[in-house]
Amino acid sequence: MTDRSQTRRRSTTPRQWVSKILITALLVGFAVFFVLPIVWLLIAPSKDGRQLLLDSPFSFGSFEQIGANWNALFSFQDGVFTTWLGNSTLYSFGALALTLLVSIPAGYALALVEFRGRKLLLMTTLIVMLIPNTALVLPIFLELSALRLIGTPLSVILPFSFFPFGVYLTYIYFSTAVSRDLLNAARMDGAGELRVFAQVAMPLATPVIALVGFFNFVGNWNNYFLPFLMVGGQKVPVQVGLANMLANVPQFNPTTATSTVIELPTLALATLLSVAPVLIIFLFSQRFLVEGMTAGGTKG
Amino acid sequence: MSQQSSSARRAARLLAGTASAAAGLLLLAGCSGGTSGEVNNEYGFATAEQVADSPITIWVDASREPAVKAFQEANPDIPVEYEVYDGNAGGSGTFQTKISLMDQAGEGWPDVVFSTQQNDAIWASQETNGQQAFAAPLNKGFIDDDYLAGFADGSLDYSTIDGTVYGLRNDLAQDVTFYNKKLLDEFGYEVPTTWEEYAELGDKLAAEHPGYILGSLGDSFMTYVYYGGSESPVFQADGTEFSSDVEDEHTVAISKILDGMLENGTLVKDSFFSAEFAQKYADKLVAVPGPVWYTGAIFQGALAVPAGEIGVAAPLRWEDGEIETGNVGGGIWYASSHSKNLDAVKQFLEFATSAPEFQVEASSGYPAYVEAADGWLAKQAETGYFVNDDFQQVMSDAAGQIWPGWSVTRWSPESAWATVVIPGIADGKSIESLLPAWKEELDNEATVNGYTVK
Amino acid sequence: MSETRSITTAGAAPRALRRPPARLHHSKTTKRQARFGYVFVSGYTLLLIAFGLLPTLYALFLAFTRNGAFVGVDNFVRVFNDYRFPPAVLHVALYVIYWLISLLVFVVLLALVVHAIRVRWASSVSRFVFYIPGAIAGASSVMLWLFVLDPTVSPVSALLNAMGYESLVQVVSLDNLPIVFTIIAFWTGAGGWIVIQYGALNNIDPEIMEAARIDGAGAVKTAWHIQLPMMTKWISYMGIMSLAAGTQLFVEPRVLSQATRGVVPDDYSLNQLAYLYAFRQGDFSGSAAISIVLLAVALVLSAVFIFRGRLFESD
Repeated sequence: MTDRSQTRRRSTTPRQWVSKILITALLVGFAVFFVLPIVWLLIAPSKDGRQLLLDSPFSFGSFEQIGANWNALFSFQDGVFTTWLGNSTLYSFGALALTLLVSIPAGYALALVEFRGRKLLLMTTLIVMLIPNTALVLPIFLELSALRLIGTPLSVILPFSFFPFGVYLTYIYFSTAVSRDLLNAARMDGAGELRVFAQVAMPLATPVIALVGFFNFVGNWNNYFLPFLMVGGQKVPVQVGLANMLANVPQFNPTTATSTVIELPTLALATLLSVAPVLIIFLFSQRFLVEGMTAGGTKG
Repeated sequence: MSQQSSSARRAARLLAGTASAAAGLLLLAGCSGGTSGEVNNEYGFATAEQVADSPITIWVDASREPAVKAFQEANPDIPVEYEVYDGNAGGSGTFQTKISLMDQAGEGWPDVVFSTQQNDAIWASQETNGQQAFAAPLNKGFIDDDYLAGFADGSLDYSTIDGTVYGLRNDLAQDVTFYNKKLLDEFGYEVPTTWEEYAELGDKLAAEHPGYILGSLGDSFMTYVYYGGSESPVFQADGTEFSSDVEDEHTVAISKILDGMLENGTLVKDSFFSAEFAQKYADKLVAVPGPVWYTGAIFQGALAVPAGEIGVAAPLRWEDGEIETGNVGGGIWYASSHSKNLDAVKQFLEFATSAPEFQVEASSGYPAYVEAADGWLAKQAETGYFVNDDFQQVMSDAAGQIWPGWSVTRWSPESAWATVVIPGIADGKSIESLLPAWKEELDNEATVNGYTVK
Repeated sequence: MSETRSITTAGAAPRALRRPPARLHHSKTTKRQARFGYVFVSGYTLLLIAFGLLPTLYALFLAFTRNGAFVGVDNFVRVFNDYRFPPAVLHVALYVIYWLISLLVFVVLLALVVHAIRVRWASSVSRFVFYIPGAIAGASSVMLWLFVLDPTVSPVSALLNAMGYESLVQVVSLDNLPIVFTIIAFWTGAGGWIVIQYGALNNIDPEIMEAARIDGAGAVKTAWHIQLPMMTKWISYMGIMSLAAGTQLFVEPRVLSQATRGVVPDDYSLNQLAYLYAFRQGDFSGSAAISIVLLAVALVLSAVFIFRGRLFESD
């Protein structure tokens, strides 16, 4: 046996090397593809408007300029940027809590609980995911308007909490990673449905909760259209605010005589700041993803 | 089995029932009316029930926020709430989008809206789906005729539909001719006064000082500058009839001039705000026709030309014609016909358009209200940026010389220029050869926007 | 297939698996299950009805009526005759094809590769790096693309120049747009899917992988015969979602339209057209008609994924 494995290792080494190189090249190539524009964006706030246009894309400007752009950003409309970030946080976390509360049990039930209407629900969810958002906007607006919610945070949080994508993710996860037999065993041991869910299924669900939570948070944080229609003024989240800010950048809007001018590097800084929370949450939830995977996927 | 299917059927029926009931509710919500009723004789339109001292909501963009703040300072007893939005910048349509949703819901309208676009009166003056038109008529008794007469000639044209004024003009953007005195003196040229002279200057520059330019065609608003400013009837709307004459003598003449200058390099294809322009042409702009806001946005901003070099001259005209200049922009204030406190709205509108606290001190645009414009010009003179002292006279004269022949429609003329002409000239085609394609695009756009093409 | 699945959860209660369930327990548990099933889905169902079902029905209603009156297929006819409709269909069709292919091929490939990395930190760094662009969306990315696509200032100007482009306007010419949008959408969207597929791969018991390796299967064979089949549901889901995202193309053209100030038209995609109908022309019925067409197309195409991927089966 030892002999065979030894010969195998020796004869596959050159091939292993080639494949290792290929794989590394592939990874590095794609990494560059994904990261290069980000590097540019990171460097952008260190320049002023003219430097951004005239200097080399990867040249560093100066730290003072970062400070200047920072001040320009936070003095825009007396620091409304902070308010926008606060709004985004409220809407995204509020919706996150509601989404998890609603979607995880739903996905679980769709995958592992027998009840009538299961397939109907799945079908409806799918159809609703396929219809363009544009068509749904008006009826949602009318509904929320009838409930007098337009302009309040709830008008953003409630629609955000409707997350069929997450329900489907949970459904697929539960139907592939957790066996019905496991649950049936627990049921036969006398556990009630709630206990089966809480003590058997949930511990296995950490990866999918992290996944659904993360995607929900990011989707909501980056959503422009819905909050744009539902709220205005001081209540807008950072995406809508950035679009308003864009209106003050001469490059994008030359024909309006503006006394408030935002330069492109300031906009780049605003972009980076609005993106940072998402990346932080990603790093945070990555841990759960990996941990949870190894705990739940392999058994025995 | 039968049990399963019957409960499934029951479930489906229940679902359908709930759905249709709620859909019915939705429809009802959508049909709830706004202000329908008697025409208020004092104001000339059907007003909502007035509630004295109810707070008014104003929508402004970031640059007009100072107007609201100044108003609040001057009138602390009038309750004002405001929201900053994108001002409809770049044709984003925010104003129309939000109002159309509110029309459907039957409530939630703001009382005053500022829009940076010139064509909102067209849709805002229409009744939609049974809902009264959003924009309140201003000249039927709401705003005094005396006050309305204080605006520059023709400045209210864009917001006037069938003789009814729907909006007050905030600022003008009349085209004048900017020139770089330093360069002109250095080369020994004269400031052009006609389009023909502009073309000749181009030829001279190309021959004697290649690399120096007289403008750019890379921005979509050039359609206003060159065609609107040369009496070219490329964008004409009469009610719901649209026509675009690309064979008119002026259209063809200006296109030939532009082609010649593109060819000899005195007109470039890069946008004023692009990197290419900043890199290559920042200090090579000898003369250019353009709106008064070029001062801040282009000369002081993008190109950073120091004071004492740029002068302002009268707009270009045809040799055999009068000055009929173009206009590139100019925001408008609208009042809501659904407002519950029209008194406060009126006070705010008059303040915003003429009060020196905003129009002279805090506004970067040339005020449309003549009195305020004089103050604004005086303030510009103090900065000493321009080379010639009579720039005030030049700008204010030009304010009254805008060509009334260029129309506003539901949609912007800029999109056709941007999608047909800019890529075409980037490909090396001549504008004259693109005229038919440009006309076709304009006609198509007119059709989908509800116009009949003549 | 079911054999391998029971192996993955082996160890829990092997004896219980073999004991046939008592008939009495079975009916009681199923009734109890059903009740709790409804409880578990109640919250989601409420939201589904409020923000999914009702609006969809309303859209259907709008598509077949005009100002409240039933008009049959008039709205559809009007929309099909719009001069912007055929080009928009072509644009979206091309985009969907490119998008679907790039996602299905590259995401799965990258997920497999990332999963094969033994070094722990390299694996998480790669996933993070691939994901970062996904955090940038909409308005934030406008200025990014304004610069990246402009050969004079772009970080990748060497590449653009090598392809013969000298100005932004040339890069965003109509012929190039499907590819440009695919690149943009892939850049922002791939990372998230790589994370999901990576997670799906993690669910595969390493013992199976080990068994395959001992049997002499190389990486490619393992991927083809073991990993991919076990990821079928996930890949099908990705396929459906990318169909949805593809047919609903809206954000990328809008972003580029803003960045180029109109050179990229604002009626490039069908979804944009629907938006224009609703909010520029005040024609909500026409807008709903376009949306229903998009829905129908996406449904038909997804049927392929649903049935081949056995997405609805619970086991």
